[in-house]
Amino acid sequence: MLFWKRQFPLFIAFVMGVVFIFQYYIPHPYSEGMLTEVSEWLRIITGFAIILGIASLSHLHYKKIQRKEPGWGYSYVVYLSMIITVVVGLWSGGKEEGSGLGWIYNYTLVPLQGTMFSILAFFVASAAYRAFRAKTREATVLLIAGTIVMFGRVPLGEYLVSNIGGLAEWILIVPNTAARRAILIGISLGVIATSLKIIFGIERGYLGGKE
Amino acid sequence: MRSFAEKMLAIDRRWIFGLIALATLLPLLYPVGLPIRPSPQVKNVYEYIEGLPEGSVFLLSMDFDPASKPELYPMAVSILRHAFKKNLRMMGMTLWVTGTGMAEKVISDVAQEMGKQRGTDYVFLGFTPGSSAVILNMGQDLLATFPKDHYGVPTSELPVLKGVRSLRDVQYAVSLAAGSPGIETWYVYGKDKYKFELGGGCTAVAAPGIYPLLQTGQINGLIGGLRGAAEYETLLERKGKATSGMDAQSATHFMIILLILACNLFYFVTRRKDTRRR
Repeated sequence: MLFWKRQFPLFIAFVMGVVFIFQYYIPHPYSEGMLTEVSEWLRIITGFAIILGIASLSHLHYKKIQRKEPGWGYSYVVYLSMIITVVVGLWSGGKEEGSGLGWIYNYTLVPLQGTMFSILAFFVASAAYRAFRAKTREATVLLIAGTIVMFGRVPLGEYLVSNIGGLAEWILIVPNTAARRAILIGISLGVIATSLKIIFGIERGYLGGKE
Repeated sequence: MRSFAEKMLAIDRRWIFGLIALATLLPLLYPVGLPIRPSPQVKNVYEYIEGLPEGSVFLLSMDFDPASKPELYPMAVSILRHAFKKNLRMMGMTLWVTGTGMAEKVISDVAQEMGKQRGTDYVFLGFTPGSSAVILNMGQDLLATFPKDHYGVPTSELPVLKGVRSLRDVQYAVSLAAGSPGIETWYVYGKDKYKFELGGGCTAVAAPGIYPLLQTGQINGLIGGLRGAAEYETLLERKGKATSGMDAQSATHFMIILLILACNLFYFVTRRKDTRRR
């Protein structure tokens, strides 16, 4: 039993990991055919992940209602919205154009998401007023850079100070890119290390349960 | 003086909300129309499309949801107008399920405006689950990834996809992205392996994160935020929603800068008094 739960998945992860590292460098028709097959399987598995997501969301809100956590009433709104959307979606045959599903999309999802995002501008302004202070040298550098970029990226800034656009561009292209690249290299090394740990069976968290 | 500065630092945030609302609303009611100077990054996307021969295969992936509509929708409108004007073979799709309705609307609206026929001049492939796996799959076999278009028509029968087997047959792809999957996904799983040219468009907040890809040539151009969309409209000589929103953006940026300066002034006044007391 332990073989099917532990060794076999580890074996699959090892074989698939090693094979597809080499596959990238071998453009042979067999190798490409294998990639086609696996990429189709990947899409099928991702499709099933949606079911997992629905199950997880339903469980989370069930627990909220059961424990009467703050705002538990909104969990009923989640269930209701989900059921209505699924029923209307099935009734519309999955088509959005000129159907009930399209109506839900255009008159609830689009305005709700748009509203949430536009509110952000107000909160950003309020947060900037309260937190964007030159308390340290580093904070002062960030403050000056942020102000130049904000001012240089709009026509009014360029109209009032002719070279501010170029300076904002330089900040984005040179110091910003350097910092972002350092972060990217760090993340990439982390991804490579984690991938190797999974391939060689050192990282086993994805198997679930206890060791 | 100190009490005033302290009071101002602890000001009710509804005053700030009110100022931002005014800074947004007034320029929309009374537009000024300040000139917009296109940046080299936006020019690169424009010039690449401009240089494509008629009938080239162009892929526009609209990887965003309604939350990013104000910034990315005008970008999609301009790029589609440009591609249709150049008589490119247009393929539209999305990697974001919540973006499907919007992507369908923008492509069909612009196609109708430009007098283009679905299936002959353009195709909307829609959404299929898998994000990065979709790109890999398209690179291997595009028609197998999307056996039917968004409207249920078999893709193998569409004249617009004649001779298109995989991403290797795409001359230029642009991802308009509000996050992941988006530009980086298209580079890692698409361009790097299947060798097509890639451009990007993203929200203003995401743009600084994409600059490393731009500098290394991993993407050939970048349209950043509403400003980028307005620059594209300027290049296309067809003003739209992005250009009309630039005055409001100028005013709100200016207002936020004034607020930051004011808060720092009040902060220094209170700090100086504190130091003197000690």
